[in-house]
Amino acid sequence: MKFLMFVSRARSLFAVLCVLGAISSAIAAEPKVTAVLSSSETAVGQPVQLEIKVTGTANPKPPGEFNVDGLEIQSAGVSRQYQMQNFNVNYSFTYNYTIMPLRAGTFKIPSQMVDAGGKSLPTPELTLNVVNSGRATSGAQRRGGGSGGGADVDASKIGFIEMLLPKTTAYVGEVVPVQVRLGFNMRAPVESLGSGLQIAGQGFTTQKFPEPRQTIETVNGTSYQVFIFKTAISAARTGKLEIGPAEVNPVVRVARPQQRNPSLPRDLFDDPFFNNFFNDPAFAPSMPKEIKLTSEPATLEVKPLPPNAPPRFAGAVGTFTMKVDASPKKAKAGDPITVTASVTGRGNFDRVAAPELNDDPGWHRYPSSDKFKQDDDVGISGEKTFETVLSANERKDKLPPLSFSFFDPIKEKYVTLRSDEIPLQIEGPAPAPAPTSNAAQAANPAPANAITPPPAPKPQEQDILYQLADRPAAAETFAPLYTRRVFWAAQLLPLLGLVGFVGWRLRQSRLADREAQRTARLQQEAAEVQRRLRLDSTAEQYFADASRAVQLKTALVRNLDPNVVDAASAASAFRLDEVRRARLEQLFAQRDEIRYSGAGNGTAQDVSPRSRREILELLESLRS
Amino acid sequence: MSLLAAAVRLPVFVRRYLPVALLCGWIATASAQTDAWRQGNDEYAAGHYKEAVERYESLVRAGETSASLFYNLGNAAYRAGDLGRAILNYERALALEPHHPEALANLRLVRDKARALELRSSWWDRAANFGTSSQYSIAAAACFWLAAFALAAWLLRRRRSSAAPLCFVFALLLFAGAVAALYGRETGQNGRDLAIVVGKSIEARLATADNAGTVLALPPGSEIKILNTRGDWIYAALPNDLRGWLPAQSAERVRL
Repeated sequence: MKFLMFVSRARSLFAVLCVLGAISSAIAAEPKVTAVLSSSETAVGQPVQLEIKVTGTANPKPPGEFNVDGLEIQSAGVSRQYQMQNFNVNYSFTYNYTIMPLRAGTFKIPSQMVDAGGKSLPTPELTLNVVNSGRATSGAQRRGGGSGGGADVDASKIGFIEMLLPKTTAYVGEVVPVQVRLGFNMRAPVESLGSGLQIAGQGFTTQKFPEPRQTIETVNGTSYQVFIFKTAISAARTGKLEIGPAEVNPVVRVARPQQRNPSLPRDLFDDPFFNNFFNDPAFAPSMPKEIKLTSEPATLEVKPLPPNAPPRFAGAVGTFTMKVDASPKKAKAGDPITVTASVTGRGNFDRVAAPELNDDPGWHRYPSSDKFKQDDDVGISGEKTFETVLSANERKDKLPPLSFSFFDPIKEKYVTLRSDEIPLQIEGPAPAPAPTSNAAQAANPAPANAITPPPAPKPQEQDILYQLADRPAAAETFAPLYTRRVFWAAQLLPLLGLVGFVGWRLRQSRLADREAQRTARLQQEAAEVQRRLRLDSTAEQYFADASRAVQLKTALVRNLDPNVVDAASAASAFRLDEVRRARLEQLFAQRDEIRYSGAGNGTAQDVSPRSRREILELLESLRS
Repeated sequence: MSLLAAAVRLPVFVRRYLPVALLCGWIATASAQTDAWRQGNDEYAAGHYKEAVERYESLVRAGETSASLFYNLGNAAYRAGDLGRAILNYERALALEPHHPEALANLRLVRDKARALELRSSWWDRAANFGTSSQYSIAAAACFWLAAFALAAWLLRRRRSSAAPLCFVFALLLFAGAVAALYGRETGQNGRDLAIVVGKSIEARLATADNAGTVLALPPGSEIKILNTRGDWIYAALPNDLRGWLPAQSAERVRL
């Protein structure tokens, strides 16, 4: 039962994987075709490479032979790449063509149809500019072999190296791209490139090689792992320069020579299949071997730059465009304004200097900063951005044009780019009138009766103020007040005040509580006495309670001790009239008479109801 | 107590003459500083500006910092051709006395002459610079204690009215505002990290290397705000809202 469940789950998992694989294959199987030229500009006789790359299909059909009038196009083989990723095999086919220009002009390489997995996909149309080159040779490709580190290894069968220069003539300072292709037989895998690739020669500078691009190419039925190095050289002197050869000392794995036992029969191992099988490094024992690969040198005719360079020419050679912007557009005189000038194109950007502001008085310019963003591997093409801070000394309504001069090797002349004026709004003093020259005055003599205004006084340069003679009495400190001890010590004063205030408030509160408690006690006692007065009681008790009620009421009104209240103080407290005053005195007198004469002893005497009512009315009338 | 006992055990001669010696030492020091001040002014009047700078700087090293001293030092540096240090010392004078009239006037003039760049001040910086750090400190302390008294009165009063809590909240808000302004002043554009470029041909760079790409060229006297220090390099906020690295010895903080 468990086995059946396991089989069922495995089937489900397999089905899910299949679906995922199909989905990923469907996503990855979208074929694409691209086509690029190694250079869009060349000269007659200088070949360029065309790469048509097809990805996403396993069996593309390359475009057939295509011809362009003025170009000789030849197939240079195909390289295939296979890559497995997430159960998905990515195919990449690169069809290489060598294009040899036969005459000058601008050529359109038409779109070619590539059959990719049943779909016909067009390549983009490409443009190739070909200029005349009097000294054009039949090609700058130089392929070379090499020599092995030992007598038993033929390096030319293991690998090749070739150096490609797109042109054979250049100007001093012009950047010429160089491509070095280094191929190794797939049966001799490369372990390292030794000390690296070097281009020999003098009279030119070489840029640092970036990381090479790797591809697999099939040449004459043999697969090669190809490293493509790109760099650029710049001639430092005129004349004929020998570029190269490009040299490299890679370490490759080669089959170890086998010592065969002569006693064994030879027939089996003399079979070429087994020889190939056992000589394959993948199966046979191998060893590292350093070989030397050297390309053919190339020749570059370097011409000097023509004379009469623009005054602001700083050595830039190439093809450039310029874009200028300024920010902010509104400011006051003296405020900094950042002018951003971007020089875009292809050439020796290390000699591209900041565009200059055309002569316009009233501007102050600070040194520029620059930033270069390259568009390729070697920094020949890209965008160099200059940020320059300017400040106007006076009112301005526009930023004058900026100019940048360079030598264009295609047009073979100097070019000066001028930006447009940028409208600005800078507030400040009006610009000073331009001085009138003596020559102008001589050419336009004033009439005899004209009043010549006196010459304007030369503005005196402002100077700093005087020196202070008095030595300050006390030293000052940069430390903020809150970091000084005296500040925190001073906080003790309000702290003490707060503590005193809190103590005083607490004491006041406690006293108020005591008074409230006393009042409550008196009110409670008064209520109790009032309740007893309504009950039957002896005369002694009744008069005692009545007079106590008067005392309590008076004490509450006058805030007195009830025991010290007598009839007179109670009457004055309630401002009683003569009748009620007399009645009150009589009440206290009766109480005292009964209490002190002993009349209360013995038989209890009752208080008449009439008397009780009068006393209660008297007590009710005691209100403040 | 032990110091008192030790003082009691000192010989009579020392006990008698030690205060006199201390007084004489203090007078001698004050006299020397007065001499340095006068000598600095004399050297300036004689046109010996570098010597005047040395005299004034000796006073600064001795700990006598005052707005007038930095103002005179700035004048001497200006006459000696060091516009960066002239601006630095005017800024120091203004850090001690924000409304020092002569320093304000000379700073404006020298800054124009040096084409020094200034940091762009935000509205918050301008608001925080309305008062000085001392004023904000005192205001914050006063508001704090007012709030504390109002709270105590509110909590301890038998019949609670609305005046005490209103006073408490108002004072607390003022306290928070004063503390925020103090923080803004200390960390803002004119705060403790403000520095002045004193070197010549200084360029702020993208990285801590002499051959790194330049961000901005800073004329002497330009303002920067130090954000970080790494070895011999400082990372600073620059005019025009830029940031970059520049050598540590190329700029000095305004506040000592």
